[in-house]
Amino acid sequence: MTHAAPLITLDTLTVGDSATVVHIAPGDAAHDGATLARRLMELGFVPGEKIRMLKRGMPGGEPLAIKVGNSTFALRRFEAALVSVQPSIQPE
Amino acid sequence: MGAADIAAPLAPVLSKTPMVALLGNPNCGKTALFNRLTGARQKVANYAGVTIERKEGSFTSPEGRAFRVLDLPGAYSLSAHTPDEAITRDVVAGLRAGEQSPDVVVCVVNATNLRLNLRLVLEIKRLGLPMILALNMVDVAKKRGIEIDAARLAQELEMPVVETVAVQAGGEKSLLRALDAMWPLHEVKPASLSAIDAVGVEDTQREVRRILALVSSDARDTGNLTERIDNVVLHPVLGPVILAVLMFLVFQAVFSWANVPMDMIKAGVDSVGGLLKGAMADGLLRSLLVEGILGGAGSVLVFLPQILILFFFILILEDCGYLPRAAFLLDRLMGGVGLSGRAFIPLLSSFACAIPGIMAARTIQNPRDRLVTIMIAPLMTCSARLPVYALIIAAFIPEREVGGFMSLQGLVLFALYFAGIASAMAVAYFMKRTMGSNHKQPLMLELPAYHWPHMQNLALGLWERCKIFLSRVGTIILTLMVLLWFLSSFPGAPEGATHPAIYYSMAGMLGRGLEYVFAPIGFNWQICIALVPGLAAREVAVGALGTVYALSQSGEELAQSLTPIIASSWTLPTALSLLAWYVFAPQCMSTLSVVRRETNSIRYPLMMAGYMFALAYTASFLTYRISLFFIGG
Repeated sequence: MTHAAPLITLDTLTVGDSATVVHIAPGDAAHDGATLARRLMELGFVPGEKIRMLKRGMPGGEPLAIKVGNSTFALRRFEAALVSVQPSIQPE
Repeated sequence: MGAADIAAPLAPVLSKTPMVALLGNPNCGKTALFNRLTGARQKVANYAGVTIERKEGSFTSPEGRAFRVLDLPGAYSLSAHTPDEAITRDVVAGLRAGEQSPDVVVCVVNATNLRLNLRLVLEIKRLGLPMILALNMVDVAKKRGIEIDAARLAQELEMPVVETVAVQAGGEKSLLRALDAMWPLHEVKPASLSAIDAVGVEDTQREVRRILALVSSDARDTGNLTERIDNVVLHPVLGPVILAVLMFLVFQAVFSWANVPMDMIKAGVDSVGGLLKGAMADGLLRSLLVEGILGGAGSVLVFLPQILILFFFILILEDCGYLPRAAFLLDRLMGGVGLSGRAFIPLLSSFACAIPGIMAARTIQNPRDRLVTIMIAPLMTCSARLPVYALIIAAFIPEREVGGFMSLQGLVLFALYFAGIASAMAVAYFMKRTMGSNHKQPLMLELPAYHWPHMQNLALGLWERCKIFLSRVGTIILTLMVLLWFLSSFPGAPEGATHPAIYYSMAGMLGRGLEYVFAPIGFNWQICIALVPGLAAREVAVGALGTVYALSQSGEELAQSLTPIIASSWTLPTALSLLAWYVFAPQCMSTLSVVRRETNSIRYPLMMAGYMFALAYTASFLTYRISLFFIGG
């Protein structure tokens, strides 16, 4: 099955939508970004894993509650922006 | 059972009591399992040189073998990101001085979440220590339709796998049997940590997926109860409303439920005092026992019910999984003043006592965020302030209903708590500006599945708080009470004295000296005296006031409640000014000493004492002058 949807970063995923993790970008080196990327992977944001956007906080749509595997993690937007995802095609 | 079997022919048989380390992700039910194994046979202390809680206990297996067990801090990975995780890594790898490396590692995993938890298991396996996998919460997993083939999992992981239900009596039996089956244990040295880093996270996750495909039915875990609850609890509008209502109810409960047990404690202390008075001749010893010890310690002991009620709620909210949701809801708000949503948990603990709060700040990875959280933690209204607030509120705020269901006294208390929170936010904002970091902080907060709070954990938690408080009353507070009794009894009044005896004592001289500093904010010399021992622990000030006033009442009706005395001898502006003082003042030496230990620097506790004193003096000055202007003396 081929996905038609283009890659997006996790922070722009719509609430309720599912996606598959494709890639974790190392963060800004000045801000300890490599460690950040590694920890995201340790929490389950590994290429190939299914994720789903559950909730967004208020105000400003932050933080994000994201289901990965069977756990839910809250991330801030800039953390989620490191994760590239392929949105799943939603059943009609 | 690879590691143990390979090592067996080489390593000598273990001669000492084996040490079992419980290790697992946060929220896997590890501590519940620890409580189940050890019951009340546990010792809580700190790891040497740091203030991370070290929980050790002991238990006996069905075949009568004794074990020691260590509850290691929860970790997502052995590549440590927090000081807690570093402890776990160092202990399990045998790198921490003063800790023996564990003889058996029991990896506790949440059976509903193997995808996340198994990665840590695979990491630890590379250390080559004898291991058992405890599939915890299998009952919940089964209910959700997650089937796990434990035998196949054991085969794939090459270690015994047992199913446990930590929250059920007998739910630990299978683990005990597995430990017995491992006998005899051998002395094994853990492999170097570099063995862990040799394999990348992605490869480990690939292995997890391979194993999961073999052992577990892939349950479609959508639309479950936790998600449905979160739809309400994390709702952008309903969520904050629920949070505010919850917090408000907690504070109302602290005030209203505690009344009956408080009256009982008060009556008990009074009757013991009466008995002693009847049985002993008037003299120095009777005065020390009745006024110094009973009167002093008793007036602090009376606040135990309030402290326990507050902790009752904090522990329940923590146990059922609500606290991280509160952190989620508050993250934006707290991010606005430069704090992490994670700071919510340390700050909430600080409502009970700043010391566990400051220690809980260790879960904040970023050093700057952590420092700001530590610096503002004492502004949260700790339970030691409650005795002072309660005394003054009872004396000066009429018992009246507002809007039909709230008490005015509860409302004033709520306002005091709110003042602490608001000023903490302001200080955090100021620190964010002056410390000039626009470094973005990660949140990475797990929102665990909800579950019913567990009574044994709750009881053990409350018992621990109770012990801590009672040992404070029994040691530091009692010592200070006796010291204060001494200071206020000697030297005695001269011939033809016109003032009460205490006026001429050492305490009186000190208080009269301090009065010059505190007169502009409306404090009389009795308050000034009480503030001095209050430096050791805030609640001591109540006992001190009791002693100061009891002694100055020419010896009659000593065990009588302090409330009517201060109600008649202080003005309302003075009372309000003292309330304002207590919101801010750096009145607790133990907090300052913990800050010194946690920051490893004398600079931060000094800064803390300085800014809090300045805030307290300013706030009291304004409160006193403004209320004097409107109400009059």
